[in-house]
Amino acid sequence: MNATLVIEWVVKSLVIILVLTGGFAYTTLYERKVLARMQVRRGPNRAGPLGILQPVADGIKLIFKEELTPHNADKFIFTVAPVITVVPALVITAVVPWGREISLFGRTFTLYLSNVNVAVLYILSVTSISVYGITLAGWSSNNKYATLGGVRATAQMISYELALGCAYIGPILIVGSMSLVDIVEAQAGVWFIFLQPVAFLVYFLASLAEVNRAPFDMPEAEQELTAGYHTEYSGMKFALFFMAEYIKMIAVAMIGVSLFLGGYLGPGIDRFPILGPVYLFIKVAVWLFVIIWVRATLPRIRYDRLMALGWKVMFPLALLSVMITALVLLFVES
Amino acid sequence: MTQQVLAKQVQEVFARFSDGVVEDQRVGYQGYIVAPEHLLDFARALRDECGYDYLTTVTGVDYLADGKMEVVYHAFKTLGGPALEFKVQTNRQNPIVPSLALIYPSAELQEREIWDLFGIRFEGHPDLRRILLWEGFYGHPLRKDWKEPYFEEVAKPFKSRFPDGKVYRAEDKHPLKDNIDFPEGFDPAKWEAEGDAALYKALTNIPGADEPGIKTEQIILNFGPQHPSTHGVFRMAVLLDGETIVNLKHVLGYLHRNHEKIGERNTYIQNMPFTDRLDYITSMSNNFGYAVAVEKLMGIQPPERAEYLRVMMAEFTRVISHLMSIGFLLNDLGAFFTPMMYALEEREMILDVFEAVSGSRMMCNYFRFGGVAHDVPDYIFDKIKGLVFERLPRRVDEIDAYLTKNEIIRARCEGVGVLTPEQAIALGVSGPLLRGSGVPYDIRRAEPYSIYDRLDFDVVFTEHGDVYDRYLVRLEEIRQSIRILQQVVKQMPEGPIQIGKSTYQVKVPPGEAYGRVEAPKGELGFYLVSDGKPNPYRYHVRSPSFVNLGALAPMSIGSKVADAVVNLGSIDIVLGEVDR
Repeated sequence: MNATLVIEWVVKSLVIILVLTGGFAYTTLYERKVLARMQVRRGPNRAGPLGILQPVADGIKLIFKEELTPHNADKFIFTVAPVITVVPALVITAVVPWGREISLFGRTFTLYLSNVNVAVLYILSVTSISVYGITLAGWSSNNKYATLGGVRATAQMISYELALGCAYIGPILIVGSMSLVDIVEAQAGVWFIFLQPVAFLVYFLASLAEVNRAPFDMPEAEQELTAGYHTEYSGMKFALFFMAEYIKMIAVAMIGVSLFLGGYLGPGIDRFPILGPVYLFIKVAVWLFVIIWVRATLPRIRYDRLMALGWKVMFPLALLSVMITALVLLFVES
Repeated sequence: MTQQVLAKQVQEVFARFSDGVVEDQRVGYQGYIVAPEHLLDFARALRDECGYDYLTTVTGVDYLADGKMEVVYHAFKTLGGPALEFKVQTNRQNPIVPSLALIYPSAELQEREIWDLFGIRFEGHPDLRRILLWEGFYGHPLRKDWKEPYFEEVAKPFKSRFPDGKVYRAEDKHPLKDNIDFPEGFDPAKWEAEGDAALYKALTNIPGADEPGIKTEQIILNFGPQHPSTHGVFRMAVLLDGETIVNLKHVLGYLHRNHEKIGERNTYIQNMPFTDRLDYITSMSNNFGYAVAVEKLMGIQPPERAEYLRVMMAEFTRVISHLMSIGFLLNDLGAFFTPMMYALEEREMILDVFEAVSGSRMMCNYFRFGGVAHDVPDYIFDKIKGLVFERLPRRVDEIDAYLTKNEIIRARCEGVGVLTPEQAIALGVSGPLLRGSGVPYDIRRAEPYSIYDRLDFDVVFTEHGDVYDRYLVRLEEIRQSIRILQQVVKQMPEGPIQIGKSTYQVKVPPGEAYGRVEAPKGELGFYLVSDGKPNPYRYHVRSPSFVNLGALAPMSIGSKVADAVVNLGSIDIVLGEVDR
C-alpha cells in the first residue's frame, strides 16, 4: 500500500466531511434567506455582513445549550440514535464524483474518493441505515409524539425507498454500470433528465420523502406532532438530527445531479477540469433552491395519502419507467 | 305569511303551558319565565312546533337580594327574526335546573360553564364537569357572594387604592394572612391537584366499546396546552386508535381570568377597552357588540356618521380576521408560514388605519355609547380609499389564485370535518362555520343592526360543510366586506360622531338587554343586566369561538389526527375569547 495514497484518501475524506458540515451550516442560512424573501421578510441579517455569520452563532448556541434527557428515556439508545442518523448522511457522498482528474503538486488527483462499481447499491444501503436512528430516537424518547413520529418515519422511508430504487435503475440500464463516475461521463452528450423524465420526477419526489422535507415532512409534522421524533432532543443531540437532515438534503441533491443533470459536466470541462466542482456546486445550489421553494409553497400531504401516493402512484410509475427503458434498450440493441 | 302561522303556533304553545309559562313582569325585562318542571316540554315544543331551532345563548344570573338564581335562554329561528327569551328560576341553596343539552346540543358547553361559574346543577346533562376552572376549585365565582383573594369592594373605582390621593396596592398585603378565605380543613401546603381522572373517564367512556370484535390498544394523546397548532393555550385530549381519533374532549380555561366578574366590577365605560381583550384580533367588532348591547339598554342611537364609521371599522376587522384565519388554516395544513405572511402584510395596512383613528393597532377602544371616540383624519381617508378600491380586491384575488385550486389543499380539505346543516344548527355554531354548512344565517341580515339593512351585500353560504367550504366562505366574505366598505366610503355622511358630550359615566336604566352582532367568528352577544348603578349587575359575553368549539368533537371523531388540527384551524378560535 502506497503511503501517499493513504494520505490522499485521508485528505479527501476530511475535505468531504468539512465541505458537507460547512455546506450544512450554510444551507440553513441559504434556506432561511430564500424562505424570508419568499415570505416578504428579510431573513437573518444581524450576525456579520448579510448575516453570513448566522450559522456560526447558531452552532455556538447549540453547543452551549443544556442537553435534557427525559427521565424515563432509554438513555443509551437515546444518545446513540442521533449518531446513527448522522454518520450515514456523512458517508453517502463518498462515491459521488466531484470532477475529473486534475494535476496538482506534480501529481494527478481524481476528484472523487472512490470509484466503486456498486456505487448506487452503496447509496441505497447506506441511506436506509439512518431510518434506524430516527425510529430509535422516537421510540427511546418515551414520548407519544416522538413515537408516532418515529413510526411514521419508518413507514414513509421504507415505502419511498422502493420508488427511489426504481428511479436509479433507468440510468443504470442505459449506462450498463453502477459506478457514478461512469454514469456522469455517459451524460456528456445528453443529460439523463431528457432520456428518463419519469424516473427523474420519481427520484425528486421520493428523495423529498426520503429526507423528510416538505411537503412530505410527516415524521416531524409540526402541526400534529410538535416536532415528531426529535421532540425530546435539545442541544447538540438535536443539532445532529438537524445536521443529518440537511446533509442528506445536500447528498440527495448531489446524487440526483449526478444521475440526471450531468453531474460535474458543463461547458469547458474538457479544457479546465477544475471547473467540475464549480458546476456541481451550481447544480446542487439550484436543486436545493427548488427544495426550499417547495417548502415555502406547498402545504403538507396527509399521512395516509402520502402512503397511498407512494405505493399506488410513484412505485408503479417507477416500475413502468424501468420496463419501458428496458424494452427500448432491447429494441435498440437488436 | 310563514311568520303569522308560526306566531299563531307560538301562541298555541303558550296557551298549552299557561300555568307554567308567565311573562316576565319586571321593569325593563322581556321574555317569559318558565317553571322548571315544564322546561323540557316547553323547549321541545318551541323547537319542533314554533321553529325556534337555534338556541345560541344560555347564561345565568344570580339575584342575591331575591334569593334566587336564573338561567336565561335566547332562542332564534334560523329563518331570521328577533329572539325568544325564556328564563328558569331556581333557589340559591340547592339550585337544580333540567338540562336542555339533549334538546339543544348547543346548551351543553354553556351549561357546563354555568355549573362552573354559578354552581347551578343541570339534571340530565351528559357530561357535567367544570369547564373554565379546574376540578376542585372552591366556590363558584360568578355568585354575588363569592369573594376572591384580595377582595376589596364590589365595584370600581376602589376607594382603598387612593387613600388621601396616594396609590396603595392590594397585592402588598400579605397573601396568606387575612384576605384569603380557605375552606374549612384546607391546608394549601398539602393540596394536590385532582388531575385529569374525570377527563380521562369521560374520554374513554364511549358507547359501544364493549361490543365483541377485534380490540386494538388505544392511546390517549394530549394536544396542548403547549402545542404549535392549538392557536394558544388550548388543549385537546384525544383517544387514538393508530392515527384515527376515537374520541375527543377539549379542555379550556388556561387563559381564564373571569372576564365577566371583572366586567361586573368595572363601570360601563371601563368595560369598553376590556372587550378589546376578548378576541384580540377583532377588537373593533367586540366594541361594536358591547356598544349595541348598552345602547339597547339606554335606548339611544348613534348619529349617522358614527354608524358609518362603526360599520367601516367592523368590516375592516372582518377582512383582517378572515385573512388571518385563512393564513393560519394553511399553516395548520403544513404550509410553512408563507400564506400567513401574505395575509399579515395586508393586515398591517388595515392596522395603520386603526392606529390613526384610535391610537392603537390592536386594542382599539374606539367605540363609545352613542358614537365613536374619534373622527377619521383626511389623509387616512385617502389611504382607506386606496385600500378598499385597489389594494385589497387585488390581493384577495391573488390569494384566491394561489390557494383555491391547489391540489394538496383540496385533497386535505374537501370532505374533511363535515358538519351537516342540522348538526350546525343544533350545536348553535355561528359565523362562517354555520354558513359553510349551508345555513344562510347572518345576523347582519337576520336581525339587522346599525345600518346594515341599507347596505348591499350577499350572505355567503356553501353546501358541503367541510373545511374547504369554510375556507371558500371566508374568502368570499372578504369580498363582500370590501363591497360594503366601498359603499360606506362612497356614502359617508358629514356630521357629528357622538350624541351629546362624551362622558366618563353613563346613566343606564335598570333592565336587561341582549345585544348581538355578526363578529367575524360568529355571533358575538353581550347579555347585560343593569340595576341602575354605574356598573353592570350582570355582564355576560356569548363568545362565538367558545360555542363553535362544540363542533370540534363531532367533526373530528373518526378522522385522522392531522384532520383534527385542520378542523380546529377551520373553526378559527381565539383563546382570549374562548377562555374569557
